[in-house]
Amino acid sequence: MTAAQPVILGGMPSLSKLYVNAAATAARRRVLGTDAGTTLPPCGHEVRGVQADVGNLTAYQHLVGETASDILPAGFIHALAFPVSMSVMNRDDFPLPLLGMVHLANKVEQHGAVLFTEALDITSWAENLRGHRAGTQVDIVAEVRRTGEPGARWKGTSTYLAKGVFLPGIDKPSATAPSTTFSAPDPTALWQLGVDTGRAYAAVSGDFNPIHLSVLSAKALGMRRSIAHGMYLASRALADVGAVRGESFRWDVAFDAPVLLPARVALDITSVHSPAGAWHHSGYVAWNPRSGRRHFSGAVAAL
Amino acid sequence: MSFTGQSATGPEESTARPAAASQRGLRRAVVVGGNRIPFARTGGAYTKSSNQDMLTTALDGLIARFGLQDERIGEVAAGAVLKHSRDFNLTREAVLGSALSAETPAYDLQQACATGLETVLGLSNKIRLGQIDSAIAGGVDSASDAPIAVSEGLREVLLDLNRAKTLPQRLRVLSRLRPKDLAPDAPNTGEPRTGLSMGEHQALTTAQWKITREAQDELAYNSHRNLAAAYDAGFFDDLLTPYRGLSRDSNLRADTTLEKLATLKPVFGKNLGAEATMTAGNSTPLTDGASTVLLASEEWADAHELPKLAAVIDGEAAAVDFVHGKDGLLMAPAFAVPRLLARNGLTLDDIDFFEIHEAFAGTVLSTLAAWEDEEFGRTRLGLEGALGSIDRSKLNVNGSSLAAGHPFAATGGRIVATLAKMLCEKGQVDGRPARGLISICAAGGQGVVAILEAL
Repeated sequence: MTAAQPVILGGMPSLSKLYVNAAATAARRRVLGTDAGTTLPPCGHEVRGVQADVGNLTAYQHLVGETASDILPAGFIHALAFPVSMSVMNRDDFPLPLLGMVHLANKVEQHGAVLFTEALDITSWAENLRGHRAGTQVDIVAEVRRTGEPGARWKGTSTYLAKGVFLPGIDKPSATAPSTTFSAPDPTALWQLGVDTGRAYAAVSGDFNPIHLSVLSAKALGMRRSIAHGMYLASRALADVGAVRGESFRWDVAFDAPVLLPARVALDITSVHSPAGAWHHSGYVAWNPRSGRRHFSGAVAAL
Repeated sequence: MSFTGQSATGPEESTARPAAASQRGLRRAVVVGGNRIPFARTGGAYTKSSNQDMLTTALDGLIARFGLQDERIGEVAAGAVLKHSRDFNLTREAVLGSALSAETPAYDLQQACATGLETVLGLSNKIRLGQIDSAIAGGVDSASDAPIAVSEGLREVLLDLNRAKTLPQRLRVLSRLRPKDLAPDAPNTGEPRTGLSMGEHQALTTAQWKITREAQDELAYNSHRNLAAAYDAGFFDDLLTPYRGLSRDSNLRADTTLEKLATLKPVFGKNLGAEATMTAGNSTPLTDGASTVLLASEEWADAHELPKLAAVIDGEAAAVDFVHGKDGLLMAPAFAVPRLLARNGLTLDDIDFFEIHEAFAGTVLSTLAAWEDEEFGRTRLGLEGALGSIDRSKLNVNGSSLAAGHPFAATGGRIVATLAKMLCEKGQVDGRPARGLISICAAGGQGVVAILEAL
């Protein structure tokens, strides 16, 4: 947690307003040449008493292949917390341009089940501003507690890259990351993702980032075609791992080549058990079955 | 009149009192416990939940209650009456989505409203034979998320289109399509051979057995009162997992009165010669829900330190020739129960709890009337007189379908778990284990009945 107390927001920020505001800020910075400095905002944002919408929950569960149970899937909590994180990245003193940032990786710790009936307090802040060979990266952390409880039930860390943005005083890593060549294993599953995959996830997650919605809106932001949401892909992999994960687990994902829609995605899930037979973790990796390029990889592990 | 009945004793077991199951060298199958989600009226809290969602949720609640995470169960059987064709492996998919070991086999079963009870009987038999040591029986139905098929005309065109090889062939096939073919084909409760809905069929039977409006309303009133009292007493605390904001069946009207029920307008049998007596109050509404029952051998239950509520003693199925009105559509249990009692050397007086599924109040009352009827006993059951009457204070004592609702395939599991717990609480009666009878009628003129006993 950052040193300063978080700013308590009166309610859940609207993602669509945040996207509009982000576009306006980007234009203003370009025209006026102002910059937001080279340090992260000193405090985070918090929204209290958040309640999941059950209709939205069911639609989300059906879309990613989870059973429509009363337990909020870890990826759904990410979507629930996302507007709070976006509002932090939208602050005037946030040093990186929000639009066009690339989601590099995500780590989640789930400590016990969260039910849709429970009121939640969501806090988000930015930390760990650092260099990257292609720009500047930052971690956006979100913590979700049951209202009135001190401990976090869910903690997510999303790592974003502002491509081509180099801030004074932040060094690039000296060596470029060694790019390990990926050789695709035999798949355990094959996903057919239609062109509407991005729109369908936007509808249940509320994340209407234009790069996911249509070919035209994606092209406007420099993409060849619309791309699947990273968290949609990771959430499907989490659902595919299944109930073996229990109610407390660690879940991480690192994103490589974006999935251009429509797409066929090959997936391999490998589970590792302890000598006594208890589930230890399930690793997953997904790739383009035609080109062999890796789309994402990660693991779900017992906590 | 010639004898056209269904003899209460089969030819192979004419006079001698048949041996009880345990004496036939079979081990016992016991009910360990059950779990269901509250039943919801159609279009309510579970509108967007699929059969697989509800069955998996009920299953996961059972797994949590009895510590079955990652356990390989002998076999899981469940089913749904209103079923999407994509759900051909509904139960296995629910198992795969649950916390059970993925190495647990499962199969689907479908016997209309008797589905749930038949899964209990089939799996109990496997346990008794020693083929499996543990099993989960269940059922689920959603009238909200019901399958809708394309019309027969459109279906034929689509299939022929797939077979057509050239463009002219395809155009010729497409030209057969008519606007009416685009109307979807929704499921209904009509009997395929008669076109009458289940309610219209029951209205015929209700009139035939001269069941009064007052008697039907009273049965419905008792169902609500008994179910509400059971909830208030905490009876369902270990039989139910809340789901989608419900912790009680949404059809339950704890504050209903006979006066309120008397104000409802009849909905079935309005064009018969007799007075129409069947209302929305004394008929079950369409409902969504799921139920599961954990069954085991005594050894398995002991080894897992789990409770043993009751033993599944025996079961019987019957069917009636309802198509041209020889018997009422839902009257098969009237024949199944006498045969089951006879095989086990029992009479109605030997039963401590009667669980007669309330498809309609008229169904329960027509069945009881048939058993009390001298002529029916003689000419249809092959007895010397009437089968007998039951002590009404033993009937559906914790409520039944009129109050709880009736998600078709889920009703059997609800009743088995409820009765097993009641028998366990009752323990012994007159120096013998407490005994319960379950009777469930089903579409197609079928019925399945069973006997459970305390241990």
